[in-house]
Amino acid sequence: MSHRIEIRIDVDTCMGSGNCLFWAPESFDLCDDGHAVVLDPEATDEDRLIVVADGCPVGAISLWRDGEALDKGAS
Amino acid sequence: MTTAETTEPMAFDPYELQDTVAGNVRDPFPRFAELRRQSPVHVGKVDVGNGPNEFFGPVEPVTVLGFDECVQVLRDNETYSSTVYEGVMGMVMGKTILQMDEPEHRVSRALVSPAFRSKMLARWEEGLVRTVVNELIDQFAERGKADLVRELTFNFPVQVIARILGLPRADYPRFQRWAIEITSVAANWDRGVAASEALRDYFSGVLAERRADPADDLISELVNVEVDGQKLTDEEIYSFLRLLLPAGVETTYRATGSLLFALLTHPDQLARVVEDRTLLAQAIEESVRWEPPVTLILRRAMKTTELAGVKIDEGADVALLLGAANRDERKYENPDEFDMFRDSKQHIGFGFGVHVCLGMHLARMESRVAVNTLFDRLGDLKLDPAAEDVHIEGMAFRSPLSLPVTFRAR
Repeated sequence: MSHRIEIRIDVDTCMGSGNCLFWAPESFDLCDDGHAVVLDPEATDEDRLIVVADGCPVGAISLWRDGEALDKGAS
Repeated sequence: MTTAETTEPMAFDPYELQDTVAGNVRDPFPRFAELRRQSPVHVGKVDVGNGPNEFFGPVEPVTVLGFDECVQVLRDNETYSSTVYEGVMGMVMGKTILQMDEPEHRVSRALVSPAFRSKMLARWEEGLVRTVVNELIDQFAERGKADLVRELTFNFPVQVIARILGLPRADYPRFQRWAIEITSVAANWDRGVAASEALRDYFSGVLAERRADPADDLISELVNVEVDGQKLTDEEIYSFLRLLLPAGVETTYRATGSLLFALLTHPDQLARVVEDRTLLAQAIEESVRWEPPVTLILRRAMKTTELAGVKIDEGADVALLLGAANRDERKYENPDEFDMFRDSKQHIGFGFGVHVCLGMHLARMESRVAVNTLFDRLGDLKLDPAAEDVHIEGMAFRSPLSLPVTFRAR
């Protein structure tokens, strides 16, 4: 349980592009006031989540495990 | 209404504008790669063809050709300002989100963005977009051959926008003509400005009608939208509607043409997509990476800074070559190949950062519906073997000028 991946969204940074929702519709949605919300982090492959976090146009998505930020964008 | 001679929308051939609007460069990519290997960031005039260096401010322009470097600039919207678009774009379109910096941009974008979210688009997909595409295909489906640029891709996005705006059908021809004229303002300044004024007059009538009698269309939504007590002024609505023409029509027609070109010139991948339409989404992404319809965007450095070890002076105009970044060999293997099965799916063909394309979900949907409908209706689609020299060209804007195809009508 403790090794589950956690997705955090910085709502002050998020500008609701919908990019995350496009790449991982099972894990993200947009709420009524326009910023992204997390649905089910487990519903998307970790590799895909890294692509999503890295591809966020404003860098509002971070991935965490056991309280530590994953190193994204290592490509 | 200020221009009376607008009843024959296609009376002039938009292809005549290609050389001046888009630049007639066929393959700028080898030169991009050569320059990028020297340095991903160049200061001063560089010869990349005939497009990006036609702007000269008091400070030497900067050209960015690397993927990571473009991303870095687009993320740092404090150092690199969008106000560079105040000049020409501002004069023609009026003040739009394109030229705004934060926090103003964020507020204004929030007002127009709800209409462009993927969930909202679903309602336009079947009844609206597919209908437009089907009507256009009806015109040539029996013929067994067609030019997909002239007969499909060039015409469908403007009709989609006209319907999304809820314009009367009788107005489509003049709307399309204004769209072409405002978009080709670089080729003919007076005509572009006249089209801009005509559009403003035209939209002011439409706005008044929608205020009196709201309908289920984008203009009614823009009239009524309110976020945190803020509403759009009429002038802001006119500017945004005008911006939709270059931003929403030209880009989509070019991107759809380049997608079809990519598939038609890669018959193995075409066959896979025809057979399994779920692959279309990744074909679209790869096509936007490989041949983004807009290859160049601009920013202005607000302070002296450094990028990839290169000093950039305050006030410098910074040209980001998205087309070059999308083929950065440090990021992609065989970057010049169109390969929809490649691992790295990320690209900056829709831009990046706070100004990332507002219409990207609409554009993807339009391309997907157009190509799907084409495959549904026409069997054995291929480039006309008799056609010679089918190619993509352009500098700041790129797409095929024609796509002659043969098919078996279904």
